[in-house]
Amino acid sequence: MVTTTRPAPARTVDQPAPAVTHRRSNVKIVLYVVAGALSLVVFVVPLLWALMRSLQPNDIITAAPKMSTFFHLTWDNFRGIAQDGHIPRAVLNSLIVSVGTAVLTTLLATAAGYGFGRFRFRGSGAAFGLIIVTLMVPFQAILTPLFLQLNAMRLTDSLLGLVLFYATVNLPFGVFVMRTAFAAVPDALEDAALIDGCGTLRTLTSVLRPLIVPGMATTALYAFLAAWTEFLGALTFLTRQDLYTLPVSLVNLQQGAYGQINYGFLSAGAVIAMIPCVILFVALQRFYVAGLSAGAVKG
Amino acid sequence: MKTATITHPSRTGVALVSPALAFVAVFVLAPLVFAIYISLTNWPLIGSFHFIGLDNYAALGRDTAFWRAVLYTLIYTAIVTLPILVVGYLMAVLVRANRRGSTLLRTVFFLPYVIGLSTLSFLTVLEAQPDSGGFNVLLKALGLTDGSTAWLVNAPLATGLICVLVIWGVSGLTIVLLVAGMQGIPAELYESSEMDGASWWDKERRITIPMLRRTIAMSLILSVIGSFLAFTQFFILTQGGPGSSTTPIVLAIYQRAFVQLQVGSATAMSIVLIVVVGLISAAQFWLLRERD
Repeated sequence: MVTTTRPAPARTVDQPAPAVTHRRSNVKIVLYVVAGALSLVVFVVPLLWALMRSLQPNDIITAAPKMSTFFHLTWDNFRGIAQDGHIPRAVLNSLIVSVGTAVLTTLLATAAGYGFGRFRFRGSGAAFGLIIVTLMVPFQAILTPLFLQLNAMRLTDSLLGLVLFYATVNLPFGVFVMRTAFAAVPDALEDAALIDGCGTLRTLTSVLRPLIVPGMATTALYAFLAAWTEFLGALTFLTRQDLYTLPVSLVNLQQGAYGQINYGFLSAGAVIAMIPCVILFVALQRFYVAGLSAGAVKG
Repeated sequence: MKTATITHPSRTGVALVSPALAFVAVFVLAPLVFAIYISLTNWPLIGSFHFIGLDNYAALGRDTAFWRAVLYTLIYTAIVTLPILVVGYLMAVLVRANRRGSTLLRTVFFLPYVIGLSTLSFLTVLEAQPDSGGFNVLLKALGLTDGSTAWLVNAPLATGLICVLVIWGVSGLTIVLLVAGMQGIPAELYESSEMDGASWWDKERRITIPMLRRTIAMSLILSVIGSFLAFTQFFILTQGGPGSSTTPIVLAIYQRAFVQLQVGSATAMSIVLIVVVGLISAAQFWLLRERD
């Protein structure tokens, strides 16, 4: 769950407050419950609504809702897109690209984080600065040269090309997180391993690993989710339908490129895109929030 | 930082960081330099090209499509920035203390951000349809409209809808940043002002907001940069239309390069965008440096 560093300061209903502030804290509790319930509705109902939509056939989704048919829910949309084949293919492509991006980003960022966090060499500061400064170059603005360059390197229409590109986009954040993780490792621990004759790689994989796994999890989670939801790069660098990732494939579904426009299929496809994000985030939330605080707040 | 030693030879350090540096050099720095060069040519996507100096930049001055996109991006940014901060702030206030349910609420507020604007935009497509879409059903049920509004083919309506989607979808980031900041404020500060009978708003104004000045500035900068680079929601929901009335700058660049095949001109637009976003990011770095 979301990291919280201090014990609960607020009083609960069971522990009555001192008489003077009693009424005031009751008002506060009521306010909290009402506002909490309202905001829960605003943030959750649209997502539950989307889930329900994905279980309605196209003719119900595209008609004014009637009580008699609105809750006839079926798996037909999911069955339909499974048979059609384009979306399952796109889900597979998205998985390959997202897992590939997560692995590559984490490897590159861990190595670089180790180098920047624990070694001293000439140009270290400048090299780190260079990687961080690339955060300031929005990839949206270098799309045309990137396209021409990837094309010349035969990396357009290639899932590998997309992985290399996504890994680079996620690298500055990953390097930052990993450098922080390595900097927190006690000198003595690492030195002991090195003096005992462990090589650099051995030290990294056996002695340091447990200490840096949270940072690696943060990096991998970010990279996976970024690759899974990325749209503009995939749209630009992929032109072959059989290589489309899920978001690009959904554009085809939306525009009817796979035959008739079927909003039932579109909503089922969007729900499929949503599910891994929700599951990963809920399960690995503490790594996600730790990364946000490290990457964004401390700059 | 420690100096190079037997256990930490500098060549190992160099070897560890060079793969990451190579990626950045090939996929960020090379395209950046290449971009400057392309912007000085009349490069079509296919065919031969020649060097034309600053002509692309000069042409941008009287390029109405470019200026309309710039203006539209500024309007869009102006509409969404403050609501994202205000919604984010109020939600953060709601969940900053560890009360029953606050963890659940924090999780839920961040879900739309994690799901991402591409998926949310596809879901919005169906809910924006006349008669059948959720927005229309809701407005009709509230007695506000007859439920037949075609949101996506009217520029102001489509813009309004996209703004609502974005405010709802990205305020989660602001919430998390602000909650983290709020939890770092010592509780004693509030306790003493509660003794003086300060109201909720007094405490926010005198304690929270001044203490969170930098976090708030950060959230604002992140959200402004995000708005300047907006693409996905417009591409999916309106394709920039009707006409080019909902085309933000990144979509204009995309169309110039990959629909009109004028890569030189598109890249000149990109360079302008890089400079503007770079200046905003530089302000952010400067701001954060001050903290140390």
